[in-house]
Amino acid sequence: MLDVYLVDDDPDVLASLKWMLEGLGIRTRGFVSAADFLQSVDLAKPAVAVLDVQMPDMDGMSLLDALLASPTPIVPLMLTGHGNIAMAVKAIQRGAMDFLEKPVDGDKLQQLLKKASALALERADTQTQAAVRASRLASLSPREVDVMHRVLEGKLNKTIAAELFISQRTVEIHRKNLLEKMAVNNVAELAFVLSGMPK
Amino acid sequence: MPAQQGASLANVSASGPVRIGILSFADEEATLDAWRETALHLEQQLRRPVTVLALTPATLDAAVAAGTLDFFISNQFVAVGYKKDWGASQLLTLIPADGREPDKAVGSALVVRAGTRVNSWKALSSQRIVSSDPRAFGGFLIFAGEMAKRGLDPQADLPGLSFVGFPQTSLLSKLWRNEADVAILPACVMEQAAARGDFPPGTFDVVLAKDSAGFGCAVSSELYPYTALSKLGQTSGKLATQVAKALLGVEAGSRAALDGGYQGWSVPVNDNRVFALKHLLREWPFQTNWQRVANAAMPWLAAIGLGLLLGYLHHLRIKRLVVKRTEALVTEIDQHRATQKAFNEQQRQFYRAQRVLLTGEMASGISHELKQPLAGIRYLTQGCLYRLSEDESEIKTALGGVLSQVDRAQHTIDRLRSFCQQPSCYELVRVDKLILDTLSLIAPELKRLKLTPALELTKVKARLDPALMTQVLVNVLLNALDAMAEVAAPELKIVLDTETETKSATETDSGAGHCQYRIRIIDNGCGLTPAQLSRLFFPFESTKSDGLGLGMVICKRIVEEHGGSISASNRATADACGDIHGLEISICLPGSPTHA
Repeated sequence: MLDVYLVDDDPDVLASLKWMLEGLGIRTRGFVSAADFLQSVDLAKPAVAVLDVQMPDMDGMSLLDALLASPTPIVPLMLTGHGNIAMAVKAIQRGAMDFLEKPVDGDKLQQLLKKASALALERADTQTQAAVRASRLASLSPREVDVMHRVLEGKLNKTIAAELFISQRTVEIHRKNLLEKMAVNNVAELAFVLSGMPK
Repeated sequence: MPAQQGASLANVSASGPVRIGILSFADEEATLDAWRETALHLEQQLRRPVTVLALTPATLDAAVAAGTLDFFISNQFVAVGYKKDWGASQLLTLIPADGREPDKAVGSALVVRAGTRVNSWKALSSQRIVSSDPRAFGGFLIFAGEMAKRGLDPQADLPGLSFVGFPQTSLLSKLWRNEADVAILPACVMEQAAARGDFPPGTFDVVLAKDSAGFGCAVSSELYPYTALSKLGQTSGKLATQVAKALLGVEAGSRAALDGGYQGWSVPVNDNRVFALKHLLREWPFQTNWQRVANAAMPWLAAIGLGLLLGYLHHLRIKRLVVKRTEALVTEIDQHRATQKAFNEQQRQFYRAQRVLLTGEMASGISHELKQPLAGIRYLTQGCLYRLSEDESEIKTALGGVLSQVDRAQHTIDRLRSFCQQPSCYELVRVDKLILDTLSLIAPELKRLKLTPALELTKVKARLDPALMTQVLVNVLLNALDAMAEVAAPELKIVLDTETETKSATETDSGAGHCQYRIRIIDNGCGLTPAQLSRLFFPFESTKSDGLGLGMVICKRIVEEHGGSISASNRATADACGDIHGLEISICLPGSPTHA
């Protein structure tokens, strides 16, 4: 189970929630304000955040927006004293995984945290893969990129050579380097890797 | 004035003719013929011209008033009448031709056809009575005096009385033709007519006759003196003496006496009885005096009458105006009452709504305050449960009990909260009108601060719950007014505009969806500290000693229920004008506002 960040302006409630989750063997970190949370937490690290909606200055919804403003593997769960449907819908639309009413049952929360944990790891993985892919792509020379685009379009080496005004042999060398740099064995794998990323 | 006038007239009369007026009811020519010889006699005696004028009672009045007469010959009644106003005095009395005593020569006779019986004066009322003229002395006036002595009124008590004019013999003809029952005639007229043979002897009779020894004719009344010569006040005594002397010299049987129908002239007789008669008759409406008074008074009476009429018309007009004004006032009062009632009703509704909202908000606030510790208890209990080993089942059961008790409390709080929540009812309203209505609701407060809000209202129509939005506005406005309680020159500005630009920087609330129109309420009060500002929309956070700290919470809840957002910011202190305090509350609302 990943770390769980708890944000609640009431220190007593925060401490008791912490106490309960620690009873379940879950590591938690408590924060009494949104600002505190944003300052102290590494947003790139996969984790689960349980956010109280009613807070002074920056409330839970604003914090949710701030948190998800840039890609992060942290999965937010919203917790509120008196919620309503409109608020719940809004929260989920904005990227919260769930919307819970206080006080939440420990068992139920544990289930959700497990799920959120898995989701966070998945997100972290996806984000890591994307980063690797991006760095590999960045390592390609401009000529290799030209060749890659034409290879992915299914063109023959002969055609590519003609289009780029280079010899067929040179195309073959570029193709080999390209596959090595992208850490794939063949063009089919290359297509698969690239299909997982946004254009 | 009369003395002066008298002197001048005396001068005139010393050279001019002696003017003598003769009162006559009969034909003017006949009168002048009768007196011509007497005038000639006077001219010879006085060696001055003498003018004789035949005058009717009216023309005699006029001539006396104009002072164009020196002497006049008339019956005693008229002569006495001029005594008071014109200083007339009787010089001589005429002696009747038939030798009657001059002091008892005139009377009134009630002549009837022979055989007609009239037993009492009262019985006359049922008769057809004729007389010549109401001013004739020998006929009517003496008769009227007799009536008055008996307490009768000839006008009122004699419905059959009519005046037929002269000559007097025509009255006898009427009796003869049975056109009348009784004729009022001077004494001796009937006897003279009979003597002339106009009617057969024994045709007529005199009723209610009086015993009159030594009087040749039948008479029904007292006897009065005969015709008199009077001088007027302005006539000189010398001329009067000369005229009296000349007339006393008229011989019986002379031409003058024969033509005039008299025997001669005597010294004046006692006219006391004429005075008494005059006194008796002064009351009658056909008296000259009364008529004169009436004539003189007529214009005044008319003027007074007209005045009264105008006054009455004015009174009516005023009355009408009063009625109209009263009606207008009544309508006005009714309208005012209706307005007042509507206003009271509005205010009552407002306070009721506020009470309900407050109750809801209190329940909500309390439930929040209770939920926090309950959540703490639940978390702690469950944390304990997780830490217990399997063999401590008794404690586990007890802690399970704690959990279910907490859940029960939780459930109760939720029920209370949902019970107190107010369902909204949305309708399409003019937001600018709503703001104006709200201002009228807090008008007394504005008046107290002598504050006129500056309004910049765009016409906006939107769907909202007017009752709830009024609550928001009143709360915000009253807060603004409270903040300005100490300010010398309070200023309140309300702006309603449609939002076209992106979200304003003041908004910290992420709850705002798409802001379509915005209400801004700006005051120049004391503003808020940053700490107060950050907790403005939290329950039980009032800065006021008597506040519950729910007003702004309610506002936030309502605005958010409308899908909008409410935010507060202190006004920038570095303004062009220098130090500016105050708070700006901005309410952003979504929906599709339509420009009205």
